Parts: sequence; C-alpha cells; structure tokens
Amino acid sequence: MNNQQDSILKVSGLNVQYGSFIAVKDVSFDVRKGEIFGLLGPNGAGKTSTLSSIEGLVKFNAGSVVVDGFDAREKPLYARAAMGVQLQSTSFQPELKVSEILQLYAGIYGVPLTKDKLEEILKEIKLEDAASKKFGELSGGQQQRVSLVISTIHNPKLVLLDEPTTGLDPQSRRQLWERIEAIRERGHAVVLTTHSMEEAESVCDRIGIIDHGKVIIIDTPQALIEKYKNDPEVIAVSRRGRVTLEDVFIALTGRAVRA
Amino acid sequence: METIIPKTSTVFSALLRADLTTQWRNRRGAILSLMVPVIILISWKGYIAKIGGTATLANSLCYGLISLGLMGYSNSIARDRDKGIFQRLRVAPLPSWAIMMSRLAVQLIMILIITTAIFIVGFNVDKITLSPAGYLVTYFTAAVGGAVYLALGQAIVGLTKNAETVNSASRLVFLAFILIGTFGGLGALGPQIQEITHWTPYGTVETIMAVGMAPTKWDMNATNALLVTLGYIVVFATVGIKQFKWESK
Repeated sequence: MNNQQDSILKVSGLNVQYGSFIAVKDVSFDVRKGEIFGLLGPNGAGKTSTLSSIEGLVKFNAGSVVVDGFDAREKPLYARAAMGVQLQSTSFQPELKVSEILQLYAGIYGVPLTKDKLEEILKEIKLEDAASKKFGELSGGQQQRVSLVISTIHNPKLVLLDEPTTGLDPQSRRQLWERIEAIRERGHAVVLTTHSMEEAESVCDRIGIIDHGKVIIIDTPQALIEKYKNDPEVIAVSRRGRVTLEDVFIALTGRAVRA
Repeated sequence: METIIPKTSTVFSALLRADLTTQWRNRRGAILSLMVPVIILISWKGYIAKIGGTATLANSLCYGLISLGLMGYSNSIARDRDKGIFQRLRVAPLPSWAIMMSRLAVQLIMILIITTAIFIVGFNVDKITLSPAGYLVTYFTAAVGGAVYLALGQAIVGLTKNAETVNSASRLVFLAFILIGTFGGLGALGPQIQEITHWTPYGTVETIMAVGMAPTKWDMNATNALLVTLGYIVVFATVGIKQFKWESK
C-alpha cells in the first residue's frame, strides 16, 4: 500500500470511552519506519487503551487508526495482518508445546513453517531444547522470547509491545532490548509501553507521555531532558543531582500515586 | 512487501489442529463426561424392561451431552478467557467467529465420539441395538441435543465473567438436570412435574433422542420436542453470544 511513505502507524484524534469514563482523549501520534516509539504514562493514563484500540481489541469512539495505509476500522484484518502484537499478559493454551504454539500462529498468519524453519526460530531465541516443553513450563524470560518471536513470525511492519520487560531480570531485559532493536534494524516500526524510564531512555527513539488520556508531549528522550533540565519543577523532583527522564516524567505527570 | 491476509481455510485448520490437540491432552475431562452415562447404563439395567432400551440409552446420552456442554465446554471457554488466550488470538488477522467455530467443531467431534461410545457400552452391557436408521438419526439428534447444552454453556459463560463462578454455575445446572432427569422425567415427583420435565431442555432432548433411536415411531410429539429444542438453541445461543465478553476484566 503506502510502502513509499515513512509513517507506518498514524493515530489521529483517538477517543476511547468506557461508559461515562473517558480513557483516551484526542490522542494523535505517528510512528515511522525503523523507529522505536515509547508510550509512557502512569497507571490508568490510557496507554493500554490506546494500544488496544490500535490492535482492534477496543472499539474507539472517535478518531482514526491507520496501519501501513490500512484504516483499522475499514480494513481491520489487513491492519492486523500488518502488525505483530505482544500483549501485557500473553498466554497461550497451557496444554500446547512451544513448537505447537509456533505452528498455530504461523498458520494463523499464513506463514509456511517447515521443520527446519521451526528449528531455526527456536535456535535464534535459544530455545532449541524447549520445543517439546509446554509454555507454562518456561521461565518468564523464555516466555517473553517465545511471545516476541510469535509477534514477529509474519515479519510485520509494525510491532506493538505492551510492557514487554515487566517482571524480567536485568539479563533477560537487556536481551529483549537487543531483540527489539534488531526489529528496528530490519526497518520495522515498534511501539512499546513501559513504566521503566531506563528502558525508554535506552531503547526508544521517541517517546510520547500520556496522562489522563491525553498526550502531553512527544519528543526524543534526550530532547525532553534537554528541554526540561532547567525547569524548577523538574529540578525539585530530581534525586541524583542530574536530571533524568524519570524526573521529567514525574514533573509532567505529578507525584501522586495512581491506582 | 505486501500485506497478505491468510486464507480462512489455512487459519481454521491451524486453529482446529491446536484445539484438537488441547482437547486430546484434556481427555481426562472427556472420559469423566462419559463416566456418568456409563454408570447409568450399568445401574439402570433393571429398569430396561420397564422403560425400554432406547429410553435408557437416550437418558444416558443426555447426561453425557450435558456433562460435555456444561462442564467441559463452558469451563474451557471461561478458563481461556481468563488467561487472555482469546485476546491473543483476536489481535491476529482472523475473524472472531473462526475462533469459536473451531471450538464448536471440536465439541461436535466429541459429541459423535461420546455417542458412539455409549452405543458400544449400551450394546455390551445391556444388549441394546438399534436399526441402521436409528443409529443415523441418533447421531443427528445427539448433535442437535448437544447444541442445546453447548448453547446453554455459552449462555453461562456469557452471563458470568469469573471462571470460578462459571464452574460453580455449570455444576449447579448439571446437578439440576440430573435431578430433573432422574426424578422428574421418570415420574417419581408426580405426573405434573413429569409433564413439565418433558418440555425442559433435558426433556425435549431426551424425547428426540429416544424417538430418533426408533425413527419409525417419530410422531407429532417428537416433532414438537425437536422444534422446542431448536428454540432453546436459538435462545441460549443468542444470550450467550450477545452477552459474551472476550476478556474477563
């Protein structure tokens, strides 16, 4: 479709409402080819609702979502085929083995998966000995690796990762960052949500801070720090003698703990 | 690279293979579904002369189908919803109906297996045999009857979000059906209750199966029971589909 264009995801004027509660208000952003875009926000800020709208899991009340040129409302299957998704709490049928889960999702995305290709994938994620293990028998890091490889099994142009490193040890987290960066190297776009400012600063090319359902600001992590480093509110929340992305985030979204 | 939507047949066969594998690995549940009807076939041996072989077989089959639809299907749907398995599937480029159709196709296969198993046990334990037409019609009525309990299971899952509550509710309904069938259907609670039982989801299914086993005896009563059964399917399925939420949050 729009292979010539730079924008893989374009979200415009998105509104999501649950009953009388407005979860997302007029959110707009775009994500470009070969870019890792981080969506940051406190609990209940509207990150997952925004992501769920893009994924097609939540019906949005107004606005538009265009993935690789396909309007998510008009051509939902095409939009979903163009993206790979890793949900916050991904679960697969606990009775299925890792190889069977890979075969299932390869089939669903119409990707031919020979025995050799399957072995190659498992080797790539260092799980060659786990093919006959059930998903529930894997460690958290191994589960995330399987989950990530499934979300990219069809080589999608856009990969959506909802808090992909939650609960991982530093080694697994670093390894996952490398895998996410490898996706970017292949020219794909990545959108990830995270509570880790360290992760956002290390991995994301641009970030969008969302609070109370609204996007407050979008910029590169370095530009945000630079922009706010002399702001008295940011300096007031700074804890380490130098301004970090977390300081900027706290200053912009407030110190109050969210439910 | 162009974005391609996989063929529905490819998607469906991938889903079906996974669902069949899951069902096979959970075969203990299916065996338990078969236990109740087998126990009935054995323990009702003395009643066969009184109520007839086909009625005994029809009752056993009813319990098997109820167990399958209520205890098996509804609980597996509730569990998978709770675990987020459906949500993971729904972000893939496949229509939502394909997810459910695959589940139902597996249940249909299970209905046919349970029906065959009950025929075999009925023959070996009680020497109950049917005409070839009787066997064929019973496979059809078992599929229709099974659909009632699957639809009822779907309605329970639709109306109840919590997996534990679905489990409790389906057990309660299962128990109610056993009591209705055992006491109400056999007339132990009086003719009025017996008549009411006759038109419950248990009674109509039992009727179409019992008459279906001897198709030459198919009459207006059986036709009415079939129509009411179809009505139950429509009502339960409508409630189950309309109220169903893909996630339990």
